[in-house]
Amino acid sequence: MLSVKGLRAEVGGKEILKGLDIEVRAGEVHAIMGPNGSGKSTFAHVLSGREGYAVTGGSVRFEGEDLLALAPEERAHRGLFLAFQYPVELPGVNNTYFLKAALNAIRTARGEPELDAVAFMRLMKERLKVLHLDDSLLKRPVNFGFSGGEKKRNEIFQMALLEPKLAILDETDSGLDIDALRIVADGVNALRSPERSMIVVTHYQRLLDYIQPDYVHVLAKGRIIRSGGKDLALELEEKGYGWICEEEAA
Amino acid sequence: MSAVAGNTAADTPFATWLTGIGDAPPGQGLDWLDAQRTSALAQVRAKGLPTSKQEGWRYTAIKPLLDQAFVQAREPVTALDPDDLEDLLVPGLDAHRVVLVNGRLVSSLSWSDGLPAGVRAQSLRSLLETDPDHLRGRLGRVAGEGAHVFAALNTAGMDDGFVLLVDAGCRLQRPIEVIHLSLGMDEPRLAQPRHLVDIAEGASATLIERYLSFGKPLYCTNSVMELSLATGAELDHYRIQQESPKAFHLAGVYLSQGAGSRYHGVSLGLGAAWSRTDLVAGFTGQGAECTLEGLYLAGDGQVMDFHLDVRHEVPGCISREGFKGILFGKARAVFDGRVLVARDAQKTDAQLSNRNLLLSRSAEVDTKPQLEILADDVKCSHGTTVGQLDPLSLFYLRSRGIPPAQARRMLCEGFAGEVLDGLGPVPLREHVAALVGQRLEQASLD
Repeated sequence: MLSVKGLRAEVGGKEILKGLDIEVRAGEVHAIMGPNGSGKSTFAHVLSGREGYAVTGGSVRFEGEDLLALAPEERAHRGLFLAFQYPVELPGVNNTYFLKAALNAIRTARGEPELDAVAFMRLMKERLKVLHLDDSLLKRPVNFGFSGGEKKRNEIFQMALLEPKLAILDETDSGLDIDALRIVADGVNALRSPERSMIVVTHYQRLLDYIQPDYVHVLAKGRIIRSGGKDLALELEEKGYGWICEEEAA
Repeated sequence: MSAVAGNTAADTPFATWLTGIGDAPPGQGLDWLDAQRTSALAQVRAKGLPTSKQEGWRYTAIKPLLDQAFVQAREPVTALDPDDLEDLLVPGLDAHRVVLVNGRLVSSLSWSDGLPAGVRAQSLRSLLETDPDHLRGRLGRVAGEGAHVFAALNTAGMDDGFVLLVDAGCRLQRPIEVIHLSLGMDEPRLAQPRHLVDIAEGASATLIERYLSFGKPLYCTNSVMELSLATGAELDHYRIQQESPKAFHLAGVYLSQGAGSRYHGVSLGLGAAWSRTDLVAGFTGQGAECTLEGLYLAGDGQVMDFHLDVRHEVPGCISREGFKGILFGKARAVFDGRVLVARDAQKTDAQLSNRNLLLSRSAEVDTKPQLEILADDVKCSHGTTVGQLDPLSLFYLRSRGIPPAQARRMLCEGFAGEVLDGLGPVPLREHVAALVGQRLEQASLD
């Protein structure tokens, strides 16, 4: 589904990704772990097409297509979704209106008919139920004045509604207490399916107690330096990142 | 002063504005009114028209206005019937309706049945004929001294307008909607409606004013509204300026508030090639609240000015001035917001803000918030911003599949939404939100 080969990228003239490789097949959940500054968030943003992240080498193919040639909205149309580490507050933009605009933009781009207000409300209610969320967030402006937990839940709710093929969760656990973390993780688990892949970017192993990955990768200095099963995360939890980085250097 | 005197000279286009200005006006022969008119005309001739050297006119590009040879609109327009208005109405808005065409109130188009006892809503012309004593001491009271020359021009040339008098304790449930409709004539017209709103003690009302046109004619509206709120009176006042894209629009709103009264005004600038709105508010009693909100949406070639002058001269009043602007294409806007707190006006609470979004490089805004505080125990603040759309917000929307043009529009609508939320009647709010959406759709195509 996603094939990243030798990806190099810089931000503000500084090279952050230095030849990153990863293969993600349909239905797989990959965790990308690494110390601060290793390039985890840069990778997430490069995949989603954020401005200011210049790709200087390598390739990213998404279902056979050159992902890097696509605008951010086109990537969303193809089925890519980024859950932001810091979801953006949009004062004055109603959350329901936003969600409907997003879903219908994607449907239109795929040649599907737009959902009318009634069908959309029905779909929203159904997805809220799956995630065990209440509808209090829907009437407010997008993320505006939301608590950290509410913002992350809103990201997961968007994911449930837009049904991406590949979801990238960028430090979804940051700033969450254990209860909020559980709610968010339960939501993510409810959305796992044989067709949907996920890349879970995280600093801490803690999230992986709740979202069990198929593969764990360690990112350091802009490259994947170690890949393994979920046991690798436990090892990292125990020993920290130091040993693995040293081993790599040696 | 030679430059000032020069611009009313007989060889300038503006001279036509004054042609026939004192001919057979309504209420002729009423001493007090004749005196007002004569004095106002003398003021126009003596003061001349503003120049960009004058304070308050420095940023207003006035030349395009003075280059126009408008003639006073005098004759009533009788060609319309109510069906013609159908497309102009706000769907679902339940209101008493008053329609002025080219400045003259047309009773066959107006609809004010069911007005409660204690409320008068009628034309200035008819009241001058039947009951001029109701106007004596009221007309010209609030907009008298210190108003600028176009207000004097309005006084000299006032021909008709709308009068709303609400008796003490009377609470009007349904809004009153005043539609100012302009039609193109062979010669471009100057309409000078003069409105008077007087809300007596403890009374309340909602007033909606909409400035509209058929087609895209060239004309000029120079309106003056005097608003007087007695002790404990309340008024919600929504002004929606949607003049023809070729039109010139001058509006002066003069407000006087008694103790404990509450005024909430929302002004929307959408139309006209050139417009200037002056909102002047003063307090005569303590504990009054005045909120002036506004939104201007200016596109290619449009000039849109808002000038606020709020005078706190008694203690313990609250004022809120919050205006927002969205500019695109080669738009020019001016926000000149002045709040004066006099020495005796202790415990004044005033907050002034102006925020602008510039969607193009060629758009320009001059913003000038001024707080003049002479008292020492007050709570006052002001703030101004001029900026572009936030790139991260745009990226967030695009990452959800929303195309860039739509994303920009959504962010602008969100920015405008805070002002539109102040429009009380839901059908009006929805109608205006749709208008704003349409304008923004054009903006994105620019």
